[in-house]
Amino acid sequence: MPQVKIIAKNFMDMVAALPTMKLDKLYDNTFICEAILRSLPPLAKKYVLQMLYIDVPVAAKSMEEWVLPDGQSKHKVAIDRLIQLRILIESADRKKETSYKLNPKFQTNLQKHLLYGGVLPREPMPSNITVRLPSLEDLDAYALQQWECFLLQLISSEKTTNISSSMMKVFQRGLLSQRDKEGLGLSENGFQFLLMDTNAQLWYIVREYISNSEDRGVDPADLISFMLELSFHVTGEAYNINTLTDVQKSIIKDLADLGLVKLQQGRKESWFIPTKLATNLSVSLSDASSRKQGFVVVETNFRLYAYTSSKLHRKILELFSRIEYELPNLTVAAITKDTLSEAFQCEITAEQIISFLQQNAHPRVAERTPRVPENVTDQIRLWESDMNRVDMTPSYFYDEFPSKEVFEDACDFAREYGGLLWEDSKRMRLLVKAEIHMQMREHLRRQK
Amino acid sequence: MVNATKGLFISCDIPMAQFIINLNASLPASQKFIIHILDSTHLFVQPHVGEMIKSAIAEFRKENSFEKPT
Repeated sequence: MPQVKIIAKNFMDMVAALPTMKLDKLYDNTFICEAILRSLPPLAKKYVLQMLYIDVPVAAKSMEEWVLPDGQSKHKVAIDRLIQLRILIESADRKKETSYKLNPKFQTNLQKHLLYGGVLPREPMPSNITVRLPSLEDLDAYALQQWECFLLQLISSEKTTNISSSMMKVFQRGLLSQRDKEGLGLSENGFQFLLMDTNAQLWYIVREYISNSEDRGVDPADLISFMLELSFHVTGEAYNINTLTDVQKSIIKDLADLGLVKLQQGRKESWFIPTKLATNLSVSLSDASSRKQGFVVVETNFRLYAYTSSKLHRKILELFSRIEYELPNLTVAAITKDTLSEAFQCEITAEQIISFLQQNAHPRVAERTPRVPENVTDQIRLWESDMNRVDMTPSYFYDEFPSKEVFEDACDFAREYGGLLWEDSKRMRLLVKAEIHMQMREHLRRQK
Repeated sequence: MVNATKGLFISCDIPMAQFIINLNASLPASQKFIIHILDSTHLFVQPHVGEMIKSAIAEFRKENSFEKPT
């Protein structure tokens, strides 16, 4: 299974990697505290809430008694996470026993949040100024369109949005790789990225944006706090741009290109409207991710029926199947040996294709087990193993051993180093991996 | 004195091994690449022919698969 390097939860790791002072500054903002609370594993959430009003340190031993013996591993995971995010602070008392206390800033802010609710730093603008406010459906359509344009530009390098090409290169860094015939094409990570759901993709882009921000002179902690704050705004309400700091103003344009906010200009004022993509940012921090509607039906005759009209989906299907017909709401494709072998040459694995088909199964077939017919999945895997029928290893061949003892000794030596590929004791011949050839030679010389 | 020869160790299934042996037989003597045939599933060949063997196998696979004419 290829190493999954793209996980939405990595955002939290990035937050945890911030230096202590910056992390404490982040905890000044009550919304960030809430967002981080949402991202914790369930047991950690329980601990935080349990210790919310306890002012003295709690002994680690008594905390361990809160769980049954078979929950110890989950307990450890939760405690480690809390310490990593500096929500729990460790202290050792005179008896050298560790005890934990909640981070005081985090604690006061969360208490305030609990009692008084969150108050955003800005109010929505009165409706007499914001005359041309789009409806929620328009806003959703706008956000989706912007996001798809962005993804299309990401993977195919056609210029469809206003994002500068240097920014694009940053995003494309992990996702595209040089392929000889067509220039830049999708790498293995790129295909995995395309197959993730929208929120995970969004988090990946946000993470790349933030890690790049240091080079452009923007403080990542500011960025992170603005992003998390944005997710608590109300979708569809207009907020005055003048309430943003300079730093935030400079990034709001980039966010508009990604589809997170919509910018509008009035006669004297200009404002931004957060879309669903932005407000979903913090919801998707917790483990439960909302499954978007599937659209693919796979049949036993290797035909794919994709009930979608989005160019992006078509491009994804093009990667491993042959598009037969394109109708206004339906794309018919066929999986063939040829198209799959092209996909395998691009280092897409059979497992990725199969999990994509399973996760995006149309609601009609989603309840059926298996979602994708077994003959299709088996055949995809068989075709993949057909690609590598031959194993090649650079190696060295030894023969003409003077005696049986030398041969046996050489065999044992190779076996110890894990380099023995093949041996023939009757004719005293030996094959070892090229990596240990040098050591083998030394060993044989010493034997003489 | 022990003799060491550098090369490529190939491990595959029996049909593929026969295919490679046949490929070797069809080449003129100066280009023959098999150094030793170890057993029915293993071969020892010259080091630089890996790519050539891979492309020959890909050609063979293409010939054997049917693609519906568009």
